[in-house]
Amino acid sequence: MKILVADDTESVLLLMSRFVEALGHHAVLAHNGLDALACWRRERPDLVLMDMMMPVMSGPEAASVIKKESGETWVPIVFVTGVGEDTTLAEAIECCGDDYLNKPVNFRVLEAKLKAFSRILELNRKVREQSAILAEYYERSEEEKGVVRHLMEQMVNSERLADPQLEYWLTPAESLSGDLIAAARTPGKALHFMLADGIGHGITAALNVLPLTQPFYSMTEKGFTLSEILAEMNNKVRQVLPVGRFVAVALCSINEADGCVEVWNGGMPELKILDQACRVIETFKSFSLPLGVVPSHAMEFSPKRYFFSQPGTVLAYSDGLVEARNRAGSAFGFPRLLDAISTASAGRRVEAVKSLLLQFLDGKEYHDDVSLVLADFGVNEWSRPVCRQSGAGPDLIRLERLVADHKVLWRYALTLGVEELKYINAVPFVMTFVNDIRPLLPCKSDVFLILRALFDNALEHGVLGAGLPAARSIKGRAECQLERMKRLNNLQDGRIEMDLAGVSLAGQLVLRIRVKDSGKGFDWQAWDRAEGTSVSSGGQGLALVRSLCAGLQFLGSGNEAVAYYLPGSACKNHE
Amino acid sequence: MLPTVDINGEVGRVVLTGQFDFSSHREFRQVCETLIANPEVKELLIDFQNVVYLDSSALGMLLLLKEKINAANKSLALVNCRDAVRQVLEIACFGKIFTIR
Repeated sequence: MKILVADDTESVLLLMSRFVEALGHHAVLAHNGLDALACWRRERPDLVLMDMMMPVMSGPEAASVIKKESGETWVPIVFVTGVGEDTTLAEAIECCGDDYLNKPVNFRVLEAKLKAFSRILELNRKVREQSAILAEYYERSEEEKGVVRHLMEQMVNSERLADPQLEYWLTPAESLSGDLIAAARTPGKALHFMLADGIGHGITAALNVLPLTQPFYSMTEKGFTLSEILAEMNNKVRQVLPVGRFVAVALCSINEADGCVEVWNGGMPELKILDQACRVIETFKSFSLPLGVVPSHAMEFSPKRYFFSQPGTVLAYSDGLVEARNRAGSAFGFPRLLDAISTASAGRRVEAVKSLLLQFLDGKEYHDDVSLVLADFGVNEWSRPVCRQSGAGPDLIRLERLVADHKVLWRYALTLGVEELKYINAVPFVMTFVNDIRPLLPCKSDVFLILRALFDNALEHGVLGAGLPAARSIKGRAECQLERMKRLNNLQDGRIEMDLAGVSLAGQLVLRIRVKDSGKGFDWQAWDRAEGTSVSSGGQGLALVRSLCAGLQFLGSGNEAVAYYLPGSACKNHE
Repeated sequence: MLPTVDINGEVGRVVLTGQFDFSSHREFRQVCETLIANPEVKELLIDFQNVVYLDSSALGMLLLLKEKINAANKSLALVNCRDAVRQVLEIACFGKIFTIR
């Protein structure tokens, strides 16, 4: 150690410094308090041996300044005291001393005390080192959490969650939530929402759910189906997360146009469908492994369906909500949740659940992330876009000539053969392109509906052949979908061509969509005469195309349809 | 929670008690690894008889265990799953990938 020895008596100073050096330490000498202070500032010794009574500045005075200036570093100060200084010694030790030695100084006692202080100093140094490491670690971990929180907030995208059809609540047990709620609309305006619960809590749980968001948003935006989105999410989770990590997911789609709710549940508590009186009319238990456990080919991604004719609500929640326990150890439970929902009016239901849960917990904290989603369906009469592009239509003959002469702004054509039709979802595929054409952006919903209707018509009435069951009733719609899947799987032969072109006609952009199938066609003239009052689903779809477009023509035997759409003219009134 | 181990011929039984969650992670892994490394043991039984609560981290531990068991060419079964435990396993549909008795 480097030891500062301060004494105004030369002989004592000399003796003490000899002692100190004999014990293997380095001595620095000072002749009074002020001198000691200067010495301390210059040399920064590990320990101070200080006489009490000194001229210019006394020992205790110098000691109190040293203690003040040494701050967080502990510099032990040992007063060397004569007989009869008991009162001043007591005061000095109280304010700034750590120990004392009696004069004349005993070599053995000095040796023992220096050893003791050396041990304490070492311990002190270690503690400070560790607390510095701890502080640094804490800071780093807070910073990391901040980054993940920011990432989560960006990914969760509260803007899209602000959907009039949706009410939600998400509250983390720790600073970060392992629950995730996401919602988005397909180009056809179906509402997709997802409730996911990552394993564990806090940062690791939050990281588990992150891989889900990107496929959810980007594929919903292009109009992919739930099964396709799920397969991609499962691949992502397996690709990114280590073994033993998985994510429980409930994914739901509400399609007002078809009057259909689709639900897929892998590892989440039962989703429920409530009628307007808040009675549970349908439940969707978890019927699949969570995402990330087994490869996609070993998973069943087909959703369960519920067709509605009356308004109602889809209710989804994480187990953190119903399993939240109060001090007495009882769980919040579903009946309380349902009670809170049924007594509140739409728009205030989440608030009602929140306040009932807080009242129930009575100050106790949640042990798990709590999340809740309420999604209404059938409340507003689905407003079919009825903005028929009337008035002086475009000069179609001139337009066709331009197309024939390849005088187009851009063109996108694809052909799907029989195998491709089975595994490529053509419309979302084309939407990837449509989403990139700037003038089409404000009306991509229209374009999606037109493509969907023309493609469905080509597939169901062309390639798969006529005679699909009519889809008027709830049962009929389910049967129709099943039959379509069955026939598509067994299909031996067939192809569909899709061709999109942007043509500039008299300074206006016209979107020309041509869809041709390998089928026998259909009696479009009869359909035309009936003006879309046909009852088949294809007929309804085509009526929609006619109402959206400036023109719809059938060619040949009816296996080729060409629709003309004017972006920007009529699409504003139903956005 | 301290898991107890009971070896009977080729069958190693791990009996869990109380809450099976992330706090049991280390003990559970150690016990299972010892059993997997034991050449006498061909089948591992995880006994939930005395387990009152199971969380998602526990499910993750079971998935990890299954992975190791498969790599060692041994078999695994979850036994005596009652009430709360069975419910959690059912919601996660673990019956599809685990033998549950």
